[in-house]
Amino acid sequence: MGTANQKEFINRIKMALGKPFAESRQKADLFNSEMSAESRAILEHIKNRNAAERKKLLETLIEAAGPINLQVISCDDISAVTGAIAGLVRAKDPEWGDQKSVVAWAHPLVERLNLPAALSEQKVPMFVTGSKSTADEDLRQQVIDAYIGITSADFCMADTATLVMRARPGQARSVSLVPAIHIAVIKLDQIIADLKELFALLKWDPHERREGLTNCLTFVSGPSKTADIEATMVHGAHGPREVHLFVISA
Amino acid sequence: MTKITTENYVAEARKAIKNQVLQRALADLQNRFGRGTAECYRQLPEGPDLRLKAHEIRMKTIENLDVVLETLAANILKNGGHVFFAKDSRAAVDYCLEVARRHQVRRVVKGKSMVSEEIDLNAALMDAGIEVSETDLGEYIIQLAGETPSHIIAPAIHKTRNDVGSLFAAKLDIPYEDDPPKLTWIARKALRQKFLAADMGTSGCNIACAETGHITTVSNEGNIRMSTTLPKVHMAFMGMERVAARLEDHDILLRLLCRGAAAQNMATYVSYIGGPRQADQVDGPQEFHLVILDNGRSRILADAEFREMLCCIRCAACLNVCPVYAKIGGHSYGYAYTGPVGAVVTPLLVGINRAKDLCLGETLCGACQEACAVNIDLPRMLLALRAKLAEGDPAWGVKPADRKEKLLWQAWSMMIRKRTVYDFVLRLAALVQKLMPQRDGMIRRLPPPVSGWTQGRDLRPLAKESFIQRWRKGF
Amino acid sequence: MSNEQPVTLFIQCIVDTHYPAVAEAMVRVLRRLGISLTCPGDQTCCGQPAFNSGYRRQARTAAQHFIEVFENSEIIVCPSGSCVNMVRHHYAELFQNDSQWLARARNLARRTYEFSEYLVDVLRVEALGARFDGRVTYHDSCHLLRGIGVRQQPRTLLQHVSGMDFIEMRDSDYCCGFGGTFSVKYPDISDAMVTDKAKNIMATKADAVVGCDMGCLMNIRGKLSRLGSDIKVMHLAQILAC
Ligand code: SF4
Repeated sequence: MGTANQKEFINRIKMALGKPFAESRQKADLFNSEMSAESRAILEHIKNRNAAERKKLLETLIEAAGPINLQVISCDDISAVTGAIAGLVRAKDPEWGDQKSVVAWAHPLVERLNLPAALSEQKVPMFVTGSKSTADEDLRQQVIDAYIGITSADFCMADTATLVMRARPGQARSVSLVPAIHIAVIKLDQIIADLKELFALLKWDPHERREGLTNCLTFVSGPSKTADIEATMVHGAHGPREVHLFVISA
Repeated sequence: MTKITTENYVAEARKAIKNQVLQRALADLQNRFGRGTAECYRQLPEGPDLRLKAHEIRMKTIENLDVVLETLAANILKNGGHVFFAKDSRAAVDYCLEVARRHQVRRVVKGKSMVSEEIDLNAALMDAGIEVSETDLGEYIIQLAGETPSHIIAPAIHKTRNDVGSLFAAKLDIPYEDDPPKLTWIARKALRQKFLAADMGTSGCNIACAETGHITTVSNEGNIRMSTTLPKVHMAFMGMERVAARLEDHDILLRLLCRGAAAQNMATYVSYIGGPRQADQVDGPQEFHLVILDNGRSRILADAEFREMLCCIRCAACLNVCPVYAKIGGHSYGYAYTGPVGAVVTPLLVGINRAKDLCLGETLCGACQEACAVNIDLPRMLLALRAKLAEGDPAWGVKPADRKEKLLWQAWSMMIRKRTVYDFVLRLAALVQKLMPQRDGMIRRLPPPVSGWTQGRDLRPLAKESFIQRWRKGF
Repeated sequence: MSNEQPVTLFIQCIVDTHYPAVAEAMVRVLRRLGISLTCPGDQTCCGQPAFNSGYRRQARTAAQHFIEVFENSEIIVCPSGSCVNMVRHHYAELFQNDSQWLARARNLARRTYEFSEYLVDVLRVEALGARFDGRVTYHDSCHLLRGIGVRQQPRTLLQHVSGMDFIEMRDSDYCCGFGGTFSVKYPDISDAMVTDKAKNIMATKADAVVGCDMGCLMNIRGKLSRLGSDIKVMHLAQILAC
């Protein structure tokens, strides 16, 4: 592997580092193929997290969400979430045009919300980005037309109120990005503490590492914002102007 | 190919100092970000010294850059991406153009990236008849105005809401509006069309991760996600040093990057991108290209004195505390990189003689190092550059900047070796200073080459007797 | 207290030639503490101006002279943070390829102190019985603050001065724009910086601005004078000698 210009390029670097012939000096400790004690401890800690600690993480998350205007709603059961989302769909106006439509991930947790039924009352169609039967172009248009995008997430880092989403079939990246409002639904046990825990999981947890980061791992911390005009903070620069995060504790 | 205007440092600085709007904006920027970042560092569980650890991580990566880059490239290829190693701007731009041609690209949306400024990608694309849209709101404003960015993170700080309002009215053919939220949404609407219509999106890379084979993009607006999600081709550019070996390294680096850049604990959006959409995925670009750029960096790498500069993660924290930047703004630096980071890296990239004012026109106050997310000793390197300018240095092709000045220092060094000579010169100077216009015991005007002092200040004259003389007489 | 080690005075060239009264004040303060003083008559300049301008060979000449002059001194005290920073940190850089001089420079660096640092950290003195009736603000000189890490010591000493009303100015740790030859080579930028500094000082309505480095203070004084302000500009030693 590696083209001619790559060889030349890398050789220039080797020369600059004064190691034209020696191979990979510190390769061994540059990367770690063995889990460190620290990572092991982190994984243990995550696994053994009890209910009280989980509650604590949720509190941290809510605290971190405030300053970045991320709305966190903690619900005891799934039907409460469905109701709340239906309420949002009713209350919010579409950004472009007056046609309301919603787009959602193909995701077990989102499916359990039973939203199409809940929304049919309002005559708001919901499209799901999972079905391969829909042509990519149509799907793209559905995302563009929707004013609300509904996703779940792989994790949520409490420390910074950050949703962590992998790219998967049926779970389009654009759902959390293109519609004006992003709604995410997660379960309490998906909350982790911080980046350290996330990276330990992604790199060392036997289950998580199989999938790894995927081709696009996205962190979202609250709604899109900018302060480029006279340092005035404005939400909704290019991404969603609102993000609502539902945490199901049961 | 890039327009380099480092020679205009003094003239541009003078202009900036006179620009009241800019002065206020710069002061405000430093007030918020400079102080905010310092506070963020203090609140880190590990404290501000985490920056030292980050420096270590960066340095280790840089010292193994060959291995790290090969690992990164191999992993990206494995994920179906393309990697191109570009030795200079020309190569990088040509590669991008070739890919654009292959895909019959007509419209490009750009996520903010310093490297694309460095290689002047816009000009090249536009020459090829391709429409280029900057998508970061600040960059978009600058592009509409036909200007260049004045700050790495806040490119349009020199524009008021009225400026932006008039600009949008003229260029977008809409009624005048000067409310920042409304202006933002006007841009949102205009750019949304660009995102949807673009065939190629470009981005930079904040810190790649070699072992997983991902680049990272960081933004608050979401423009980079748009640019890298919607168009069918994603072309990313990174300076060859912008990589970390391990995912664990990203914990520290990412936290410091967000704090340094905008006094945030985490930016709104961070994406790890490692390849094009997979066969069963429904969106994302069909092709992913990463261009890794040398463009003079290997020369910096080769010089132990300056290697440290490659630790830089372009967070711009140093700009937000630099008292010189606060006065002269970004345009004075005459190149993509501004502020303290520009003062060191620009001379190294474009020529030390050519950019001499950037490294001489600083006070060495040290605020930049204290603010630097990775604790780079910028003042040390400013001094090292000055040493090259004083003596010349064939290895870097530097010629002594000022031979007359050198003679003066030569004479000075003879004088300070002997107190008798020193005292004699003092007596002479005391005689000469009698000729200077004075008021209230202060000298009002000095002759060249020291006339600069009295341009805006008075000078306390030499004392009748130096302290040493008094001491000798028995103080 | 008279059993303190004798101190050798390292007089910054600007103090020596423009502000001898500062050195005299320092002498008074130290003598009051019962410290015996010497002051080598052949000292000139530590070499910092040449070093900062990139003229390392010339700076080396100055550094060698300095080392020869001060080598036999036990404790060296200087009324300037930037000169101490030069000796403490930059001499090592100047002699990095000359192990003999490097060793001599290192040896000397360990025994060189800035005035306020010496009082507070070495002598452990905070109250000197000084009195100053008026409002005072303090400017943090860059090399003093970020070079040798002195922030609190001068403030502590000032807080023990009776009759004084101490007030912090805005951005006290922002550079005043002196920067040695920078002030002459880039007068526009330097002037803009010192103008800000002067404004921040004037905004405190202080009677005096105090600092620990006459380089900065000469710059600040020059600007205040040009602006027609009569705020006093004083070295810390001058206040402590009152
Ligand atoms: S030099 Fe340091 S502070 Fe400045 S941009 Fe680079 S990493 Fe950030």
